[in-house]
Amino acid sequence: MMKKKLALTTALLAAGAITLAGCASGGDAPGDGAGALDGKGKTLNVLTDANTLYPEEQQKWFADVSEKFKAKTGAEVKFETFASANDELTKIQTSVVSGQGPDIYSLGTTFTPTAYATGAFVKVSDDDWKKVGGRDRFTEASLGISGPDKDNEVGIPARSRPFVMAYNTEMLAAAGIDKPADTWDGLLEQAKKLTHDDVYGLSIAYGDNFDPWKFIWAMSTQAGNPIIDGKKVRLDDPVTIKAYETYFGWLTQDKVVNPAAIGWKASQALASFADGKAAFMPMVTATSINTLEASAVAGKYAYAVMPTVPPGETKRPSDGKEAASILSGSNFVVADYSKNKDLSFALIEMLTTAEEQKVYYDTFGEMPTNAKAAEALETDNAQLAPIVEASKLSVGTPFSGAWGDVQLGMTNVVVQAIPSLNAGSVSTDQIISALKTEQDKAQSALDRAK
Amino acid sequence: MVTTPEARTRADALAADTTPEARTRADALAANAAASADATPARTAARRGGHPAPSSPPTGRPRRARKIGERDRPLWMLAPGGILMVVVILVPLVLGLVISLMDLDQYTLRQWISAPFIGITNYVEALTKSTLIQSIGISVGYAVLVTLICLPIGVAAALATQNRFRGRGLVRSLFLVPYVLPTFVVGTVWRTMLQPDGVGNAMLKNFGIDGGLWLNGPQSYWALVFVQIWASWPFIYLLVLSGLQSVDSEVHEASALDGAGWWTKLRYVILPYLKGPITLALIISFLHSVNNFTLPFVLFGIPAPADVNVLPVLTYITGFQNFRFGLSAAMAVISLILIAIPLFIYLRAVKLDTGEDGGSRVRK
Repeated sequence: MMKKKLALTTALLAAGAITLAGCASGGDAPGDGAGALDGKGKTLNVLTDANTLYPEEQQKWFADVSEKFKAKTGAEVKFETFASANDELTKIQTSVVSGQGPDIYSLGTTFTPTAYATGAFVKVSDDDWKKVGGRDRFTEASLGISGPDKDNEVGIPARSRPFVMAYNTEMLAAAGIDKPADTWDGLLEQAKKLTHDDVYGLSIAYGDNFDPWKFIWAMSTQAGNPIIDGKKVRLDDPVTIKAYETYFGWLTQDKVVNPAAIGWKASQALASFADGKAAFMPMVTATSINTLEASAVAGKYAYAVMPTVPPGETKRPSDGKEAASILSGSNFVVADYSKNKDLSFALIEMLTTAEEQKVYYDTFGEMPTNAKAAEALETDNAQLAPIVEASKLSVGTPFSGAWGDVQLGMTNVVVQAIPSLNAGSVSTDQIISALKTEQDKAQSALDRAK
Repeated sequence: MVTTPEARTRADALAADTTPEARTRADALAANAAASADATPARTAARRGGHPAPSSPPTGRPRRARKIGERDRPLWMLAPGGILMVVVILVPLVLGLVISLMDLDQYTLRQWISAPFIGITNYVEALTKSTLIQSIGISVGYAVLVTLICLPIGVAAALATQNRFRGRGLVRSLFLVPYVLPTFVVGTVWRTMLQPDGVGNAMLKNFGIDGGLWLNGPQSYWALVFVQIWASWPFIYLLVLSGLQSVDSEVHEASALDGAGWWTKLRYVILPYLKGPITLALIISFLHSVNNFTLPFVLFGIPAPADVNVLPVLTYITGFQNFRFGLSAAMAVISLILIAIPLFIYLRAVKLDTGEDGGSRVRK
């Protein structure tokens, strides 16, 4: 089945490519000319993720954008959505191979390096940056994963979804804690104090396929290990081992996490917090507001920036980064094969103005990447201030085509440790040996990077 | 259906005769010479052979007569199906083979045609550096287990619903529920039930058993086997049931008259009738389990725990998470070979007519 599917896709791609090659020679690209943009009779295709929380609002937003852009340039905008990261990947692969597909993609930040590695997206030149309203229109942090360096950027920040920590204000007040700690050790102490009966200090999704590596990455980065250091992978670094020990220790030694959490996905961990069964819920985004507002903890929770001082330290080491969150969100990229590059940049310009980003935030709850809009939001809404702050303190994951492998390896260490976690202890030797395997795999993936 | 040389010669000699009767006789002889005891081919052949005789010129080459019959076949009418076969099966297969020989990854995807050709390096890497061998072991082991356990369940269920009783229709439909449910739904439901604090463990606790961890660790293998059995036994049931329908009621009567007990009847009368359907069910069930990607994917997620890192999941991770399309294609080819073995045995076992053999039935 897999084989057939894979092969079939490839064949279809090939067929598509051939058809396209025929069409391409006949097409012309008046949109790329100088002067005012006239998009009459043209269609821009945009691929973006389906918003499962607000499907109707998203359709309306699509229509609004299309209408506005038509009024501005005469061109039509067609949105296409993908349901999962898989869908997205398939679509990108198809388009990359066939040289046909959407003009603009809205890509997840961590996927941007892989997309960059394919070389199928436009490197944004100084000129192009001007077309989208200037590079300085965006918050500095949001540009952190646009490209390997300033001169080779493909991603134009679209939205920011930084990770923060939700906490139960009532529980903290009852225990006499005035605010969440800013060190991981401090957070653990508070969590211990808050654990009693069937209430646990932390709600952690050990069984999630994405959450675990973000903890490990954050703690490692804060301790000065960027995981990918030039041509070297540093998964077997002592600070990373320490990060895993801390992460597993919360459950096995400190017992501040519900033992059932070994099977939890992120949504289950959030549900436990929403039930009032946990004091802290690290690694959530602003989209959790919906769940929490409709839950038992409505009005009794607040957000805070996650600790930025690595485990075992009281002060961040000098080479450590103040990484409150991975740089999360999405970037716009323009396809290399697009016949409507200028129109594409014009649309991105329209979507990243302060006003449009405010509209987007109001509709979907996703944070702006436009510096002005972010600032306005911070001053207007105290509840969101920590999220905006986390957005500023976000650090991009290493910009490498091999990042996918590294991320998978980091998650795999947690997945394979679950049985031991269930048995009550994950030994340091076990962590070291698991990391050694992943280190070798990741290093060979990095060696392949071109 | 092998024709003995002597019979052939005799038949051919007769075919050289020009009279219609002689030709008919020759055809009948040739057909009779065939190993098949079936009388139909002989009759058909005789009929067909009789037609063109008066106008057909005498010929010194006996085999030619056969070719006249074949010549007029409008083979071009097979073209739509043929083209579809080529596009849907052959082209992708060849492309898959080609890709498995290339160093195709995220860096070379864009100009995939010109990706470096690296021969069998991918195969070597798949067999020596990846967990492919373990995955094959897990996949085959689990598929065999599932198939063997499903067999008695399916046969028993089919026998139980063979005779008429009140509510038989309802029971029969209920039996099909697991099979009709989409795998994705089955996976999601069982994943929820098999959580450490889920319904499954709560139930086991009533019996004083500590269920432990089902979705990771060594027990996850048994969870996969169990859920797959739950979802796939109705398939065997379905095929066996259809096989049972084809057993004539006279057979039942006869064995009853002869005083056969239920076991004797089942073992020596009914089961021989079911040999075909059961073999087919076993093979398809095995292939289905080996190829099942959705169930382990939904149950355990990605990356999969080492105990349930089955072949399709490994291939998927290699191709779509690590972007090693070439390596992944090599794994897929290896798994294709793996699947081809039982398929080949099956085709041999049921002697599904192909090529030479199939042709000889209708040839004359």
